[in-house]
Amino acid sequence: MDQHHHSPLFTVDGAKLSRLEDLRLITGKGRYASDWNDPQQLHACFLRADRAHANIVSINTDKALQHPGVKAIYTGADALAAGYLRSANFLTFAGKDGMKALVPDRPCLAIGKVRFVGDQVAMVVAQSHLAAQDACDLIEVVYEDLPAVIDPVAALQPGSVLIHDDIPGNSPFEAEAGNEAEVTQAIAKAAHVTKLSVDCTRVTASPMEPRAALIAYDKTTEQYTVHTPSQGVNMTRRQFAAYANNMSEDKIRVEVEDVGGGFGQRSSVYPEYVAMMIAAKALGHSIKWVSTRTESFLTDTHGRGNLITATLAMDENAQFTALRIDWITDMGAFLSPTGPVSHIRNPSTCLNGVYKIPALYGHFKVALTNTALVAAYRGAGRPDIAYAIERVVDTAALELNMNPADLRRRNYIPANEFPYKTATGSVYECADLPTLSAKALQLSDWSGFEARRLSSLAKGKLRGIGMSTVIEGTGAGMYPKDEIELSANAAGELTAHTVAHSQGQGHQTSFAMLISDAMQIPVEKIKIKQGDPARSPHIVGNHSGGSRSMVGAGTVCHLAALKLIEAAKSLAAEDLGVEPSQVSYSKGVFQAAGSRKKITLGELASKKTVSVKAEGAFSKQTFPNGSHITEVEVDPETGVSEIVSYLTVDDCGHVVSHTIVEGQVHGAVVQGLGQVFGEHIVYDKQTGQMITASFSDYVMPKAGDLKSIQVEECPTMSKLGPLGIKGVGEAGCTASLGALVNAVVNALHPYGIKHIDMPLTPAKVWATIEQAKSQR
Amino acid sequence: MAKVELTINGKNHCFEVEDRTLLVNLIRDHAQLTGTHVGCDTSQCGACTVHMNGEAIKSCTVFALQANGAQITTIEGLAKNGKLHPVQQAFTQCHALQCGFCTPGMIMSVAGLLKNNPKPTDEQIYHGLEGNLCRCTGYVNIVKAVKKSAELLATQKQSR
Amino acid sequence: MHAFSYVKARTLKEATDTLLAHSEAKLLAGGMTLIPTLKARLAQPTHLIDIGGIEALKGISLKAGQLTIGAATRHVEVANSPVVKRAIPALAYLASQIGDPQVRNRGTMGGSLANNDPAADYPSAALSLNATIVTNRREIVADDFFQGLFTTALDSDEIITAVRWPVVGKSAYEKFPHPASGYAMAGAFVAHNTKGTRVAITGAGPGVFRWMEAEQALGKKMNAKALEALQLEAADLNEDMHGTKEYRANLAKVMTKRAVAKLSGK
Repeated sequence: MDQHHHSPLFTVDGAKLSRLEDLRLITGKGRYASDWNDPQQLHACFLRADRAHANIVSINTDKALQHPGVKAIYTGADALAAGYLRSANFLTFAGKDGMKALVPDRPCLAIGKVRFVGDQVAMVVAQSHLAAQDACDLIEVVYEDLPAVIDPVAALQPGSVLIHDDIPGNSPFEAEAGNEAEVTQAIAKAAHVTKLSVDCTRVTASPMEPRAALIAYDKTTEQYTVHTPSQGVNMTRRQFAAYANNMSEDKIRVEVEDVGGGFGQRSSVYPEYVAMMIAAKALGHSIKWVSTRTESFLTDTHGRGNLITATLAMDENAQFTALRIDWITDMGAFLSPTGPVSHIRNPSTCLNGVYKIPALYGHFKVALTNTALVAAYRGAGRPDIAYAIERVVDTAALELNMNPADLRRRNYIPANEFPYKTATGSVYECADLPTLSAKALQLSDWSGFEARRLSSLAKGKLRGIGMSTVIEGTGAGMYPKDEIELSANAAGELTAHTVAHSQGQGHQTSFAMLISDAMQIPVEKIKIKQGDPARSPHIVGNHSGGSRSMVGAGTVCHLAALKLIEAAKSLAAEDLGVEPSQVSYSKGVFQAAGSRKKITLGELASKKTVSVKAEGAFSKQTFPNGSHITEVEVDPETGVSEIVSYLTVDDCGHVVSHTIVEGQVHGAVVQGLGQVFGEHIVYDKQTGQMITASFSDYVMPKAGDLKSIQVEECPTMSKLGPLGIKGVGEAGCTASLGALVNAVVNALHPYGIKHIDMPLTPAKVWATIEQAKSQR
Repeated sequence: MAKVELTINGKNHCFEVEDRTLLVNLIRDHAQLTGTHVGCDTSQCGACTVHMNGEAIKSCTVFALQANGAQITTIEGLAKNGKLHPVQQAFTQCHALQCGFCTPGMIMSVAGLLKNNPKPTDEQIYHGLEGNLCRCTGYVNIVKAVKKSAELLATQKQSR
Repeated sequence: MHAFSYVKARTLKEATDTLLAHSEAKLLAGGMTLIPTLKARLAQPTHLIDIGGIEALKGISLKAGQLTIGAATRHVEVANSPVVKRAIPALAYLASQIGDPQVRNRGTMGGSLANNDPAADYPSAALSLNATIVTNRREIVADDFFQGLFTTALDSDEIITAVRWPVVGKSAYEKFPHPASGYAMAGAFVAHNTKGTRVAITGAGPGVFRWMEAEQALGKKMNAKALEALQLEAADLNEDMHGTKEYRANLAKVMTKRAVAKLSGK
């Protein structure tokens, strides 16, 4: 069934490819951050805090400096001297009662205090990586230990140890959405109220490429050249400049080619990079650093980490009347650039999920803890709110003894009510939830589940079914518009420059397909360039994240192609000696009306500059949505859950490449599955040491965890752009958490089990069953 | 420091390395073949998989000196005479890669797997991929690519 | 990784001489445990003596009811060996479940036994079958060899050269792999012959051990039902975020039951 809409293959150098970028990636010619080298480069290694919370009494680098090959060692004093003390933060909206976020300083090397295990204390620069690593061991740091607070609820308790002296109560921000009074009143009047608290666990994105950077300084231009994983070089430049004491962005050249996965974790500029700028300038050499995976676990921004309580009120007809969301978001020891905005604005936008709920209220409290920072991770708050809602709806159905599909059907926002203004003020653009959900129910044979449950039971397995129907906003970004620069060359080939940087999403194919369609030129003749330091600074646009690139930059590729045709018609008219209105265009050829005179795009480009810049604005957002239905079999002897079927029906608007869309859904569903069944960043609650700092402890999904998946579409076309695109990158994560947990909890209903928090590890599922058995 | 002599992708090399140099560092830094990647420090992810004397191994868990005299094949050496190896063809045709970082190791592992078991079952494929992590694809298309590779290899064998 | 000197040993004698000459030297066979340990800077040997190339430590032979496997024989060779598959199929199966394909292409039987990781697979087979560990100096039966967490009867300058596996009766191995590392959360190796039944459990405790109650129950009745009423004592078992002592006790029982069912062809 799956992969039934495979797009045609492209031919490059005799090879048949699904994507244009594939040829270099399957032959080892991709160029990732750690593949950049400079013959004169020096190597950095970071000495990191081995404890969660302590004052730094002294740092002695004498012995380390004596180590052969060591060139220099930098500490907080150097960060202070450079003024590299504050990372960028994109939290632009006001909080509760107009409060402004208290954003703590985060020096690029710790000054006076360490606040989580892995916090960077010193940077050794040496002739080889091994020498730098050896010298790190020789640095002597005297600490004065402080009590650590790891749990966000404990951190918010009065009297908790303070992580930053200037942030009272360890809470730098609090925000609200909707109307509390209305919700309180509706809950008081409700026929039934269901309340559920869920832990949307802290996980880590773990792109397979570890962080790395090569940073050079040019004395004459006073520019820094940076090679590092990025989701969009504009955003990277802006953050570098902001972190480096608000340096001019012109001083930062960012050159990036391939990026080995991002998922939000590669959207931040990290302190190590900025510390390397100090060394690059002082030493006059390029500085290279490649993170170990352990460092990735300890210091890359984590995702999710939200404790959410959902209170759902219903009338006697099981119509939802109000929803209250109380949300504690654990941000770690500092505020990351994207964390607070992701975990507050995105859920506020979709606070009612797919349901018509007249009264809504969300309360968000940010907590700081002695742990690594939290930031956007695939979905960035959207999976969290969807998970809480889809779990509380399933719990309500259980309490009301209703079929969860029926309860949902009664409450979906009707198709004719779109655009739908939610009680938190966002406007859902378009969707047809009842039709989409009906398709999912029919394809999954929802009504035939009981027979399948019984046949599983006969084998000793507990079978459960779960669904999740979700919606999420996309299109908006940090920059007000997205631009594409499109040029033709004498060979009749086209090159488009974008700042929406693919980290695996395949823009070099999907963007090229859009231009190809508009210009009737083979995809193979279109090059998409991203992260080119000569062009990128002249292009405005958002990074790839928030499922927005096809909506924004992709749509603008189409607009740019149309604009290029028009511009080239004028140029062709001059050449052909006719009025532009007399020129027609088809398949790379401009033809004068009523004559045989024509000129090809390549010929035109050999004589004149054929280049345009197009733009589009997408900040009003569009709303991809979907329904996932899955069935699991739980082995009560071991607690192992096996996914026996997984169906997705997504509305991501117009689809450009079905192959790529399916790939995005597969990957995101499995990232959701990872969080549901195993992934979890765990710190020792007393010491703050991370227990899961390697792939030997952190449970990554493996081949066979999802054996098959049926990917279906049920589109409604967005009007945000001319193509109807809605975006899909995060949809799989957003829907899968709820669907899978609902399925496992459904399987365990016979034991009276109503909820289990993620991760649903075999050990936890087994223990929950055993406990339930003993209580009966 | 010590001398290592080995063959990489059919070419003889001799390097002077520190005793603690890992094979993957020799490949990436000394031979400057950056298609072989490093994704972890605990020998779990398999991004560094290459063939040593015809067998898939993790080059991050072998010292360069242990490879003295060995024949190494990296992703750069898999295509022959400009023609992609069937596993490379299958990976792109099944859309079994996204960011591409795990892909060289994944392809080398699959090539190793199919050498020993030309027609693996689904369970044998899952078992055969236990040494490789991918974060983008969810593995569904990778498993398809393994089956497609098996088909392509069988056809190639027949046509010889 | 800390610096060290690499020494390639061509003969057993070269290896032992180097080992005796340097108190902080370590043997390197497949390196599948040692190299990650060194990379994590958790060990600082002055010398690594590579014994992986010593021919005398390699090979598989079957003679007079004894299967002899050289210490430097790799897991992949054990897993795929027609001789092992015929003589002790459970041992070949066990070898096919160690680590992952790349690890099996490098890791060795001797390395696994000498390291005695509490979650390693081979120790369960060795203890259950009471294999004989042959060293450069003596022979040690498995009953005397394993001495708890990462501890064996080996002297610091002693090298395993081969393992002799008795070929009698039937055996089976079942393991529940750790969800991240793939090591055994619990593995049960059950060996049954005319003299009785031995059940060795790995992964669950601080070292491989025999589950005597299960052996007794199976001695009376060789089927999985015989184990139903038993409960493995959880107090001394391992516990971590992936499983409590009680969970590991349960897994050990479930794996034993499944091994018995497999062994009796059910």
